[in-house]
Amino acid sequence: MLSTIIVKELKNIIVSPKFSATFAVTSLLLLLSVYVGINEYQATTRQYEAATGLVDQRLRETRSWARLSNRVYRVPNPMHVFVAGVNNDIGRTSIIDPTEQVKLTNSTYNDEPIYAAFRFIDFTFIVTIIFSLFAILFTYDAVNGERENGTLQLTFANALPRVHFIAGKFVGLWLGLIVPLLIPIVLSVVLVLAYKIPLAVDHWMSVAAIVLVSLLFCTFFIAFGICISAVTRRSSTSFLFLLVAWIVISFILPRAGVMAAGTLHPVASVAEVEGMREAFAKQIWAKHRDEMQERFRKRADEMQNMTAEERSAYEDEHAWEMMEQEDKARKDILKQIDLLGKKLEEETRNGRRQQEGLALVLSRFSPASAYQLAAMTLAGMNIDVKSAYEDALSAYRASFVTYKEKKEKESGDSGGIRITVDSNTGFKFSMGRESGSLDISEMPRFNASRFSFSGVLASALPDIVLLCAFTFLAFAAAFVAFLRYDVR
Amino acid sequence: MESGQPVFEAIGLTKKYEDETLALDHVSFSVRAGEIFAMLGGNGAGKTTTINLFLNFIEPTEGEARINGIASHKDPLTAKRNVAFVSENVMLYPNFTALQNLDYFSRLGGKTQYSKENYHAVLRRVGLQEEAHTKRLRGFSKGMRQKCGIAIAILKDAPAILLDEPTSGLDPQAGFEFIELLRSLRDDGKSILMSTHDIFRAKEVADVVGIMNRGKLIMQKHAAELAGHDLEELYMKYIAGHIRDAA
Amino acid sequence: MFRLLIEKELREIIGSTKFAVSFGVCSILILLAFYLGAANYLASVAQYNAARAENLRQLEGLTDWLAVRDYRIFLPPRPLTTLVSGIANDVGRTIEINGRGDLVAHDSRYGDEPIYAIFRFLDLDFVFQIVLSLFAIVFAYDSINGEKERGTLRLTFANAVPKAHYILAKLIGSYAALAVPLLIPLALGSLLLVVMGIPLSSNEWMRLGVIIATGIAYVGVFLTLSILLSSLTQRSSTSFLMLLVIWVMSVIIVPRGAVLLAGRAVSVPTIEENNAKKGKLNAQLWREDREAMTKFQPSSSSDPQRMASEFQKLMQEMADKRDARMKQLSDRLNEERTNAQQVQRGLAFGIARVSPAATFALATTALAGTSLDLEYLFRDAALAYQQAYAGFMFKKTGVNLSRGMIIMRTESGDPEKPKSINANELPVFTYSERGVSEVMQAVLPDIGLLLLYNVLFFAGAFVAFLRYDLR
Ligand SMILES: Nc1ncnc2c1ncn2[C@@H]1O[C@H](COP(=O)(O)OP(=O)(O)OP(=O)(O)O)[C@@H](O)[C@H]1O
Ligand SMILES: [Mg+2]
Repeated sequence: MLSTIIVKELKNIIVSPKFSATFAVTSLLLLLSVYVGINEYQATTRQYEAATGLVDQRLRETRSWARLSNRVYRVPNPMHVFVAGVNNDIGRTSIIDPTEQVKLTNSTYNDEPIYAAFRFIDFTFIVTIIFSLFAILFTYDAVNGERENGTLQLTFANALPRVHFIAGKFVGLWLGLIVPLLIPIVLSVVLVLAYKIPLAVDHWMSVAAIVLVSLLFCTFFIAFGICISAVTRRSSTSFLFLLVAWIVISFILPRAGVMAAGTLHPVASVAEVEGMREAFAKQIWAKHRDEMQERFRKRADEMQNMTAEERSAYEDEHAWEMMEQEDKARKDILKQIDLLGKKLEEETRNGRRQQEGLALVLSRFSPASAYQLAAMTLAGMNIDVKSAYEDALSAYRASFVTYKEKKEKESGDSGGIRITVDSNTGFKFSMGRESGSLDISEMPRFNASRFSFSGVLASALPDIVLLCAFTFLAFAAAFVAFLRYDVR
Repeated sequence: MESGQPVFEAIGLTKKYEDETLALDHVSFSVRAGEIFAMLGGNGAGKTTTINLFLNFIEPTEGEARINGIASHKDPLTAKRNVAFVSENVMLYPNFTALQNLDYFSRLGGKTQYSKENYHAVLRRVGLQEEAHTKRLRGFSKGMRQKCGIAIAILKDAPAILLDEPTSGLDPQAGFEFIELLRSLRDDGKSILMSTHDIFRAKEVADVVGIMNRGKLIMQKHAAELAGHDLEELYMKYIAGHIRDAA
Repeated sequence: MFRLLIEKELREIIGSTKFAVSFGVCSILILLAFYLGAANYLASVAQYNAARAENLRQLEGLTDWLAVRDYRIFLPPRPLTTLVSGIANDVGRTIEINGRGDLVAHDSRYGDEPIYAIFRFLDLDFVFQIVLSLFAIVFAYDSINGEKERGTLRLTFANAVPKAHYILAKLIGSYAALAVPLLIPLALGSLLLVVMGIPLSSNEWMRLGVIIATGIAYVGVFLTLSILLSSLTQRSSTSFLMLLVIWVMSVIIVPRGAVLLAGRAVSVPTIEENNAKKGKLNAQLWREDREAMTKFQPSSSSDPQRMASEFQKLMQEMADKRDARMKQLSDRLNEERTNAQQVQRGLAFGIARVSPAATFALATTALAGTSLDLEYLFRDAALAYQQAYAGFMFKKTGVNLSRGMIIMRTESGDPEKPKSINANELPVFTYSERGVSEVMQAVLPDIGLLLLYNVLFFAGAFVAFLRYDLR
């Protein structure tokens, strides 16, 4: 009996023109998106390699430890083929230098705004918008459509338990919609293999998880569609209701949630925070300058009564000490600035984190948000990427700075151009010590943290659970509603 | 009350559809004012096709369908000014009330002088329960919608009336009253062409009965000629005979 | 007769649940878009003011104009930007100004606050592009074949109704029933801007008006297209499916596909490539100049004041020369990039305009000042400001320094406390958008195209209905 209903549902779906149309559109879109993703990934990888190559070359050509400064590029993530997440929105590179804070700049959309005009399409986008729309299209009249056709009465003129009917309906619709979706998904995977995208085992597991979550999301919409069609009498009503619900779920709730959080919980902008840091830096540099002036004057006073020879002997004797002193003062200042920078960073990040938390809580009322967040997290492309990267870069910067200081000290190269104009010694110009090319073989390199499936799964779990809950609720509601449905 | 000019007139009416189905094959008949012509015939015999030709919903392959002497496909607007129509299965506008539907369609038929009371009166005449008059049509049963359709046809007050299975979905009482209604319309001098599957009512009310099969009008008899015959038997005989002939 | 047909059309649409629901949803969304846009604008203004204040504050207490560093200009938020975001959130809003050198915009909104990037903003552009177009389809997908399915088409044409009258009434009636109610929340939304104290100049009001008109024309495209398809097909489910596929294509596929195609067809030198070239030249110039510096011999070795000023002069000369050459290269590279970008954009948007949604987006973003033009406009304004800034600095200090050079003058003379500089003396950065007439000229082809789509589909629906099978 159950199988009869399932088979009928399947047949009904497969022979409908609706089915061929949607199947063609989704397959086309899915393959297109993956193809575009592959191309984008390859282009990004090429750019990344070229850029890092250039950085390496510049490092090799640097002649003085003092001028050694590094630049790090974000490593392209092959999961980008399926999920773009915030990849194109956040910066791709940061300078690594003792005098500058870590900051990711040059996002794809900033550098090539033409892509920002309409944005990219990725797998998750198609699932969120198109799959859900088609799921509605197939389920909006699942129950009330049969009533309108009179087939519901005919069906229940037989000895058929209601549970069988609704379960058969669900299974039939699910198979009829999900199985065809698996075809383009499998083809996409084949495409990824054919283009030799370097996906590690962890990546593949994450891809599988994303596919499963996507199917879960579709299941939610199927259950939701059946549920609505079982609480309304007429298919036109349920269709309208579902369409509005679709718009609200996929577009309104996520956006409104985030925007509401932005208004309820404003945070300082990056520019403002930078301004604060710079004001502090300026102050402390000014103090430094005053002190330096003071020291210079003291030294000059000490030398006041010396003869020219004594003076140069004195200078030679104390040169190293003086230089050390200046250098130490300078480094102290940089440290203080760094410290304040960190503190400010911490504060804004906390503020931002609260804002983001609020935004996500608000937008998670929509299953589409939960799905998108889960997929982004699984792909390692969620909003935490930026701060995680910046943290890793900051850590790297610290080791880089230590290395650089050590080398500077070893080579006695304090850098900068020093010009001494003195009425006695005349004009002296020094460029710091040029040591030919530097031996940077021991320079610490930035290692992006490796993609770990268990890590992303753990952070995606709450959203996955939430999505499961949404699906279960819709499913249960559909069941209950149908058991009390008036079949006349 | 037979008088002069025919109101409905089919002359060698032939319709071949794009898929080569010959739905009507040189059908000729005429219906005068004050006369009811009932078309009988199995499903797919060509009754609806005939009516569609009178309304110029389709163009004849050959021949003419005339209303008041005007060929429908030559001057459809003038022809249609003279005809009211009740279709086989009309849904009407589900978001409008019965009154609103009536108002709209009678204005469309050029009758702007009606008042609300007129509409109520007509709806009462076709037997629609009072409380439904101001309800939206979306909850109406098939018979209730059919009654509204009939009311629309009455309101148009045209000399010619086309009815495609008007009694389908009507309850027995409404069916009986509908026959009464047809009689009174005939007495007003209307010319009525109706298709129906209801042999008994056809015999009861029709002045002329035509039997169609496979696009041909295989029998056409006046009520007087039928008197004393069992129409059902006749119908079966003719159809069977026609099938034999065709074979 | 004609009036009756229109009246019926209006009454039928307005009396339907479909209308009540979609009108309700649209009104809420439109008002929400206006409200959130206004709130967002106010928040952006607060951020902008704070950033500017901090930027000036960091200059406080400096005693030497030479020590001015990290001076930045900011792209001011404008009210229309939040109503039609365009690329405003994707491109950098901050430029660090030095007397010379390349200008790079940083700190895009989405880059700073990726939380907004994942779901994007709910703006007027989005409401029109996605929601209203969809509702236009829902309204009209069965306008002809639905009447047929209900049998009313037969009933109607059993009367002396000319087909031409009927379809004209249908088109006009549906247009009026859709457009007029939309104007109500749009007007209320505009009023909301006033109530919330968003200052719109007459220029901006005019452009907002044109944006709304363009939106109505865009919705009209889908309305007429729906009527066209509904009079080309026999069953409303068929026309709905076709319209949905067209909608997906138009709103999602064609615009993105066009950009991707153009991206592959026209290659634009990337910023990295250009930076590499610039970096190379810069390194080379530095090497040469360092040589020259070490070789420097003052004319007299007894007067430190003179030695210093001679050296400074040499530095200045070298910097000027270096700068001129760098500027030459960077101008050339920028121009090449801009030219390639223009070709790429021309191609991309040329193809994308097949889609009414893309045409609409291009027109409204141009009207709101958030099209790709924004990037150029900001850059040009910044360049102009750079000149003013360089002139000012030169007047104050006698030198023109590029980024990365700090001169720390420590004199071992008597300590006379120098006076602080007044940061407010700095020239003020102004960003002005294009004038209404200029913008109108730019968007006229797009608006014209939308109207053409309207007329085309209108005419198509008209012709199709004249041949429509009424049975
Ligand atoms: N659009 C069409 N294209 C092709 N053939 C058609 C078309 N419409 C009707 N027919 C054919 O024309 C013939 C007559 O159909 P018509 O609808 O006139 O029958 P009918 O007598 O009204 O039947 P019923 O009693 O079932 O209403 C049938 O064989 C039908 O298959
Ligand atoms: Mg029929």
